[in-house]
Amino acid sequence: MLVAAATYLYWSLVKDVERDDNDFLANKIQECRRLLGEGPKDAPLLAHEIQTEAAASQFIKYFVRLVDSRGQPALETPGMSRLLPMAAFPAPIEVWQTPSQGEVRKSLAGAHFLLMAGRATAQGESEPERTVQVALDVSSDEALIAGYRWKLLVVVVLGVLFSGMAGVLVARRGLHPLTAMARATERISASHLHDRMVADEWPEELVSLARSFDQMLDRLEDSFKRLSQFSADLAHELRTPLNNLRGEAGVALSQGRTPDEYRQTLESSLEEYARLTRLIDNMLFLARAEGPETGLTRSSFDARQAIEVVREYYEAVAEDRAVEVGCAGQGTVEADAVLFRQAVSNLLSNALNFTPRGGRVVIEVKEHDRNGVEVSVADTGSGIPPEHLPRIFDRLYRVDAARSQHPNGAGLGLAIVKSIMRLHEGTVEAKSEVGQGTKITLQFPACVSKAPPKLTKM
Amino acid sequence: MRVLVIEDELKTAAYLRKGLSENGFSVEVCTDGEDGLHQALAVESDLLILDVMLPKLDGWSILKALRQAGKQTPVLFLTARDLVHDKVKGLELGADDYLVKPFDFSELLARVRTILRRGPARQPDVLQVTDLQLDVPRRKAARAGIRLDLTAKEFGLLELLIRRQGEPVSRTIIAEQVWDVNFDSDFNVLEVAIRRLRSKVDDPFPKKLIHTIRGVGYVLEERPE
Repeated sequence: MLVAAATYLYWSLVKDVERDDNDFLANKIQECRRLLGEGPKDAPLLAHEIQTEAAASQFIKYFVRLVDSRGQPALETPGMSRLLPMAAFPAPIEVWQTPSQGEVRKSLAGAHFLLMAGRATAQGESEPERTVQVALDVSSDEALIAGYRWKLLVVVVLGVLFSGMAGVLVARRGLHPLTAMARATERISASHLHDRMVADEWPEELVSLARSFDQMLDRLEDSFKRLSQFSADLAHELRTPLNNLRGEAGVALSQGRTPDEYRQTLESSLEEYARLTRLIDNMLFLARAEGPETGLTRSSFDARQAIEVVREYYEAVAEDRAVEVGCAGQGTVEADAVLFRQAVSNLLSNALNFTPRGGRVVIEVKEHDRNGVEVSVADTGSGIPPEHLPRIFDRLYRVDAARSQHPNGAGLGLAIVKSIMRLHEGTVEAKSEVGQGTKITLQFPACVSKAPPKLTKM
Repeated sequence: MRVLVIEDELKTAAYLRKGLSENGFSVEVCTDGEDGLHQALAVESDLLILDVMLPKLDGWSILKALRQAGKQTPVLFLTARDLVHDKVKGLELGADDYLVKPFDFSELLARVRTILRRGPARQPDVLQVTDLQLDVPRRKAARAGIRLDLTAKEFGLLELLIRRQGEPVSRTIIAEQVWDVNFDSDFNVLEVAIRRLRSKVDDPFPKKLIHTIRGVGYVLEERPE
């Protein structure tokens, strides 16, 4: 910026000076032309101008020469021929041309002169046979400009150096809070996740950064807690089946047993293993569903057909428990087919579990134009008390704490449904009335996928 | 029947060898990928049981190399559940079936038998076990001449058990074949279905045909009292 400013100032000065000088000479030529054209032939006024005034001019040194029709100097300022012979002058401009730009030449003595020449018509003559040559000593101007040039150069160099150093200092100072912030973040680690930047303590520019940072830490801490809780839950849930296994095996080995007894023990342990596997698979699904985009294989399929498949699967169970299960509605849904059926299966399983004999469960599909598909499972079961209702989708949550109802159920069914809906960017909602029944509604949004979903036969 | 097992986990390899040979198979075991591929190419086997995660050369590469060499040996993949794509990938590459770890040995045995049975075996239209008779095309079942009133799924279940008579069928296979699903469910749906089937097929008659083998599955056969 400094350089640009300096260059501009320099050039504008040079231009101004040049213009002034050229104007001066131009005026002189015009003046001489006028005097020549107006006055008598020998033009005493012109002579006076040329010989006396020019010579006397102290501050502005200029010379004028009048050249006659024969190419001989008729009048000239004293001393001119010594310094500026006729030949030194540029070609004269025509009489009708207005002088504007002269040429700068060095004189014989070394000084710089601006030279201009123009034709003129003497009074009484018809042809412009005279020539006026004017010269302006611009040496001092040149010196001034040269001096100016040097000064500017020095100023620019010093200025650049200075502002450079100042810049470094300012930057260092400005970055100081950032360094402090960086040091503060070093304190934060998994074991010290609770530390915060505390936005207000920082200078204004960094407040928003500090705030964003703190919010990020909040989210991380939350995720961290959930993950730790998850591991703790899993470990806890594993204890019961493992305990059974150890116990049974220990008891079996404590005395001599018949092959049949050993057989039974082993058979029982196989069942526990299956239970463990299920638990781990489900927990793993939940854990992964919370993380970044788990691979969802979306396809477009007939939702009614899908729920019919689920109903058929539970037919025997429903008959066994004397609960009537019906399907209703139509719709095409865009979702992961496997997960869709698993979600409906979990809901139906719950409904069958909590509906007494003679009750009824309805699985309904509703298509909302372009807004997606709604799938609901409504039962005439015992209902869920309002204090439990918000928590039924929690992992490992069981309404009946003693879980006598469902020895197989780990309380993950609804948590898995919730995860499945979250993966689909849909929602799940539960409504219940104690003694009347429960209705759980799934909303599958219309897909805004980039790739067109494949049509699958169910 | 010759089975080549390529599995690096020693205990798994050991029980597979034991279990399969006790069931009439001749078993060869390799514990790393390179060895396994070499063996698979050198010796003809009727079935390859292939673990996906192997040292030196993984299961995918072995299968690919095998198929490229023109070997059509049936392959049963053992995969970990986390990798859902494993299943698709395996079947695309030319595997015949897959099993997710951890699995029941009975499951493995059942699938091995299924793979090896595949072929242009003619499926009879009328199935019979002692006095139980199934007319498959007409979807009718009768025992001792008395018509059995079965639902569509119950018929399917009975048909599956009869076709595999004498051979224990695992729960997973039943779910896949009869209901075409593989849900994870809190209810033991199959247990209920079998119980209801029993109430219609076995309970009214002196001889029980449907048996439960704990930890394995169900089997339909005539057993001496």
